[in-house]
Amino acid sequence: MVRDVTFGQYFPAKSIIHKIDPRLKLLLLISFIVFIFVCGNAFSLALMGAFTVALVVMSRVPIRLFLKSIKAIIIVIILTSILNALYVDTGRVVFEVWIIKITTGGIARAAFMSSRILILILASSLLTYTTTPTALTDAIERLLKPLRFIGLGEAVHVMAMMITIALRFIPTLIEETDKIMSAQKARGADMDSGSLLHRVKALIPILIPLLISSVRRAYDLADAMECRCYTGGAGRKRMKQLHLVAHDYVSLLVCIICFAGVIGLNILF
Amino acid sequence: MSMLTVENLTHIYGEHTPFEKSAVHDISFQAEKGEIIGVIGHTGSGKSTLVQHFNGLLKPNSGRILLDGEDIWANPKEIRKIRFKIGLVFQYPEYQLFEDTVFEDIAFGPKNMGLDEAEIKERVLKTAKMLGIRDELLEKSPFDLSGGEKRRVAIAGVMAMMPKVIVFDEPTAGLDPAGRDLVLEKIKEYRDLTGALVFIVSHSMEDMAKTADRLLVMNKGELFMFDKPENVFKESRVLEEIGLSVPQITRVFCRLHDSGINVPDDIYTVESAIAAISPLLKKGGTANG
Repeated sequence: MVRDVTFGQYFPAKSIIHKIDPRLKLLLLISFIVFIFVCGNAFSLALMGAFTVALVVMSRVPIRLFLKSIKAIIIVIILTSILNALYVDTGRVVFEVWIIKITTGGIARAAFMSSRILILILASSLLTYTTTPTALTDAIERLLKPLRFIGLGEAVHVMAMMITIALRFIPTLIEETDKIMSAQKARGADMDSGSLLHRVKALIPILIPLLISSVRRAYDLADAMECRCYTGGAGRKRMKQLHLVAHDYVSLLVCIICFAGVIGLNILF
Repeated sequence: MSMLTVENLTHIYGEHTPFEKSAVHDISFQAEKGEIIGVIGHTGSGKSTLVQHFNGLLKPNSGRILLDGEDIWANPKEIRKIRFKIGLVFQYPEYQLFEDTVFEDIAFGPKNMGLDEAEIKERVLKTAKMLGIRDELLEKSPFDLSGGEKRRVAIAGVMAMMPKVIVFDEPTAGLDPAGRDLVLEKIKEYRDLTGALVFIVSHSMEDMAKTADRLLVMNKGELFMFDKPENVFKESRVLEEIGLSVPQITRVFCRLHDSGINVPDDIYTVESAIAAISPLLKKGGTANG
């Protein structure tokens, strides 16, 4: 039941995509998203699409996982398609009933927008499937490091530490929720039937103990960190240093070529 | 007819996935009304998985559990009713407390049974009294109590449903010696008062020697032994092989016996140890003679 909720989508595999430096991967994803919107015509978008599919295959993450993340936003895609098809009325009329008018221009527009969203989702899932949550927070912390020049260095470290701790405790909390649910069920709590209001009320015996134990855990963790002389970010060094290596530069180059291709195709057509 | 019958119970976690793991395998036994059964076994031997089947929190992959001869899964929609007849007190039950007052928390189970106001009140007061929860505590928040008191309130919450079978998963874990003895004593009192069948999952061989009528020994998901404590503890070598031990006092007497001192080697409780050793002392300390 609770265990079925997948969190932290990381899928361990041996691929070049997994190995790319998380900082670079994050930056590349951001520029990738920008370039998806730079694409002005079907040709440049097709290039981005082909590139994304190639990366997906290279990642060695099972295709069904990508299909799962697409499934989650299928409604958005359908809705966008319908709205675009209805509102754009350029080109030849294909279909007309009452006030509904579908044109070739509308269909083309709908297809273009849906492919955009699709590529966007594929690219972002690629990042979460191939990067561990800890590596990702690490990357965010490093990339935000320049903020220390305007006095926000400590804030960045604290934020990153908070995200890391939050991620680390998700499995613990899932286990705890499972246990408390079983315990309340053993006392006859009825959680699977009744009206919506009844079901919301049935959550109280689970949420209160969960909240209390979270607070208790937080105090314990704070004590443990203080016992190990944690004083915040100032002067801390990392055990694992991140360095850009050959395959990082190669991936960067490949992406730049792709982005140049997009600009070229935009100008050509 | 036995009160609780378990027939060929098998449970597999994550069946048909790469993580498939057999947790309990082909377990069969019968337990009678009024018995206290100790469930012992090494960590990961399947004790907790086994007891969570008794009240239908887990559904067996194969096999049956019969309460008074009736399959508890005969009507899966009625499984909630089974939980009022077979109570389960989890490990560290104090973490499940949530109501504003101790009274309300003990009343949670009886309320779920759909009892009327007067009956609920009577049961709460009766159980609280039995467990030595003082009247002035009933109006306090459960979070203001001490560890031992919280534990007893949580146990009262299950006992107030008056189940005829009640399972305790490590009821004494994390308590001080006085607290342990008190909890075990209260469990015995409940059995004497209601004639319920009681299961206690425990790691403490001393507690089990003192409390249990029969011991159910689990090893690697299988039922290893099911017998009276004296017969189980006789097999100290076999128990050690599966990562368990015998009570400390038994070890002392076995060692004395082996070194040629004239004492019995089947001593399991401190009381019987005193009974065995005092005649020797009266003789003037020449036990060898």
